[in-house]
Amino acid sequence: MSKSLHKNICDKVLFSNFFKKHSEDLHSFLYYKFGNHLNPKDKVQEAFIKVWENCKNISPDKAKNYVFTVGNNLMLNEVKHQKVVLKFQQEKPTSHTNESPEFLLEEHEYSLKLQKAISNLTEAQRVAFLLNRIEGKKHKEIAQLLNISTKAVEKRIYGALRKLKEEIKEL
Amino acid sequence: MKREELIKKWLDNELDSKELELFKNLDDYEDLLRISNSMRYFKADSYDTHVEFEKIEKIIEVKQKRNWFKPLSSIAAVLLVIFGVYYSFSIQETEVSTLASQKQTLELPDHSSVSLNALSSLTYDADEWDINREVELKGEAFFKVEKGATFHVKTASGLVTVVGTEFIVKDREELFEVICYEGSVRVNHNGSSILLKEGDRYTYINGTSGQTKTTQENPSWINNTSTFKSMPYSVVIAEFERQYGIAIHLEEIDAKQLYTGSFIHDNMDIALKSITLPLNLKFSRTNRMITLKSE
Repeated sequence: MSKSLHKNICDKVLFSNFFKKHSEDLHSFLYYKFGNHLNPKDKVQEAFIKVWENCKNISPDKAKNYVFTVGNNLMLNEVKHQKVVLKFQQEKPTSHTNESPEFLLEEHEYSLKLQKAISNLTEAQRVAFLLNRIEGKKHKEIAQLLNISTKAVEKRIYGALRKLKEEIKEL
Repeated sequence: MKREELIKKWLDNELDSKELELFKNLDDYEDLLRISNSMRYFKADSYDTHVEFEKIEKIIEVKQKRNWFKPLSSIAAVLLVIFGVYYSFSIQETEVSTLASQKQTLELPDHSSVSLNALSSLTYDADEWDINREVELKGEAFFKVEKGATFHVKTASGLVTVVGTEFIVKDREELFEVICYEGSVRVNHNGSSILLKEGDRYTYINGTSGQTKTTQENPSWINNTSTFKSMPYSVVIAEFERQYGIAIHLEEIDAKQLYTGSFIHDNMDIALKSITLPLNLKFSRTNRMITLKSE
């Protein structure tokens, strides 16, 4: 539809819609892939500004791939293949809680194990699995996002789950 | 249904109720559920699309502003330079001044000429010249005014108005003097208005004004000589200091005694003799200071 209407995305409304449609996905993608210590929000911002600045050369159907590639490259410029350790935020116990201190401690230890296990996943597994489990994305959506087949997504997510289960048992 | 397929379907939220029961009966159901449920702790930082879009809009706006600001600022700079040059050449008043022992002759826009004596300055507005022939004078100058509208010389002491004539105006601390060499000059000074004709000389020294005659055709300093006729000695000394750019100290000498004579501007030794010998004075020189005393 937009293909026939617009040659590029220099239109303000078009750009705004484009941003609202893809910015959050790009953020989650960069976050789960590279972790939080490289400011994924800033990279999202930079990537979209690049799109706007080069809007004349970007057709609407190419824009999504373009902004994901730019965001990814911006991250790669900084990252030096270090292990990605995602921070976790457990719900803080309120002043009165029905859970015992032992239970809370056990939960925390479990989360630490999980954190370690996640950082041992391959990048591809981690991104697909987290987008699925945390962001609640369907396999098909992830496939579109990452430009891969649904089968590949399925494989990555299942592989990730199996690996996590094994690692947690070992630890 | 195979175990793996079941889990995959579960991961994609595609299980129907029957399959869900089968999935729950898997031996590692608890483990899988726990992993899945714990994943929420690892959720990415919240991302507010609206807030982020506002940020991006601002950045884009600033960049666009810069885009037009850049060429515009260079245009503004060029305009400023053009205006500045125009202003300095046309609007501003012209000021010409001389240092000690310096004389300068200049031509006004209507070809009237002005000779400035040492330590004098003349200010006029060339832009307004057609409407208003007016100059401001500090010090001493000899004017040769072309015929035309009334010509005004403003000094701290008084206003001299002429029509087309040759005259000098001298406005020094010790002396205000106007000499008319040709035509007629009106002097407004001290609340009175005096009309000077050719050869008339108006002086004001130490609170007393007087009118005398001169036979000279132009002021002697134009020819590098200062001539005095019955002038207080202090006036002579002040003029000497200006012409040679030095300081003179009088030792036990009456500065009010009258002096008639002249000194030249290009030889200080001869000039010093010219102002000391007639009064029987001695002079001694050190660096930039000359001391005069009685013999």
